Amino acid sequence: MRPRPAVVAHHFEALGTSCSLFGLGVSQTQLLNGEVWVRELGARITRFSDRSELAALNQSDGAWVDVSPETEELLRESLRAYELSAGLVNVAVLPSMLAIGYTRPLAEGTSSATPERAAPAPALADVLRVRPRRARLQRGCGLDLGGIAKGWMADRLALKLGPDSLANIGGDLRAVGPGPAGDGWPVGMGGATVMLRDQGAATSSVRRRRWGDLHHLIDPRTGLPSRSGLEEVSVVAASGCDAEVVAKTALLLGPGLATAYCAAHAQAWWFSS
Amino acid sequence: MRTFLLKVGATVLTLGTTLASTLYVTAHLKNSSAPLQPSVVATQGFDVGGLTVTPGVRQGDVRPVTSTYAS
Repeated sequence: MRPRPAVVAHHFEALGTSCSLFGLGVSQTQLLNGEVWVRELGARITRFSDRSELAALNQSDGAWVDVSPETEELLRESLRAYELSAGLVNVAVLPSMLAIGYTRPLAEGTSSATPERAAPAPALADVLRVRPRRARLQRGCGLDLGGIAKGWMADRLALKLGPDSLANIGGDLRAVGPGPAGDGWPVGMGGATVMLRDQGAATSSVRRRRWGDLHHLIDPRTGLPSRSGLEEVSVVAASGCDAEVVAKTALLLGPGLATAYCAAHAQAWWFSS
Repeated sequence: MRTFLLKVGATVLTLGTTLASTLYVTAHLKNSSAPLQPSVVATQGFDVGGLTVTPGVRQGDVRPVTSTYAS
């Protein structure tokens, strides 16, 4: 029996968080190319740069704008996440983000908060239209893709890296292939180790990216930071993006409904309140 | 006469197949009163230290290469 190749790993900081790439039978150069892909795509979809595609869409004043295939796909994924979460994962929460002072990367600090100006988010399907290589956002609305991009990027990147790899983008991850010992990729979650094979995992939390009484996880029903009673949710699902959507939805639903939702949409879950 | 025999044969074959199917299903039905769609929550996996795991996920006892975390 031939010995399995060693795991090649690459760690880096991007998108304001820590990222790790792992692969079997891949070169360090492939993992470095993965980092380049993350940085290039991150620059296109950040809301913190006026030169990004997302900024152009947010400032388009209701006009159609050209978008890259990746941004188009991410916007379509945002609409799917909206459906999957019954409206709780809504990327149209940018006005609320700005109202609570999250106007720039948190490493640069927050602005003064005016929560009274926050309002429930509009129905995403009503304000966002996506066509091949084009998108239109209703005037007065704004998108923040930070709540869905990491899981989506982990999915794409793991598939790009090869048939036996794992991409972890800020805690949202996707594992493909049999892993180091052939029984899945060992991933820590909720104090235990789960073996993931062609599955994703993600954690949604209000314990990070918080300042004062505020935090970044907006409940689109109120336009304000979530007060559901749950502080952290981790899940395993079919993909990184699905895991991210399910974890966030469960956290927003709160302890009363989160278990039932996870039972219908997740393969493993862990809550902390 | 030949036509009549064909009709009788077809009828016997149909009734025989129906009877055999009924006997087979009755003998192999594990729980005749089981609901078609059991409660989702009640059929979920087991709980280990607060982590609920369904049969689709295996637990391991090796050191994880990475973990999911809040960012």
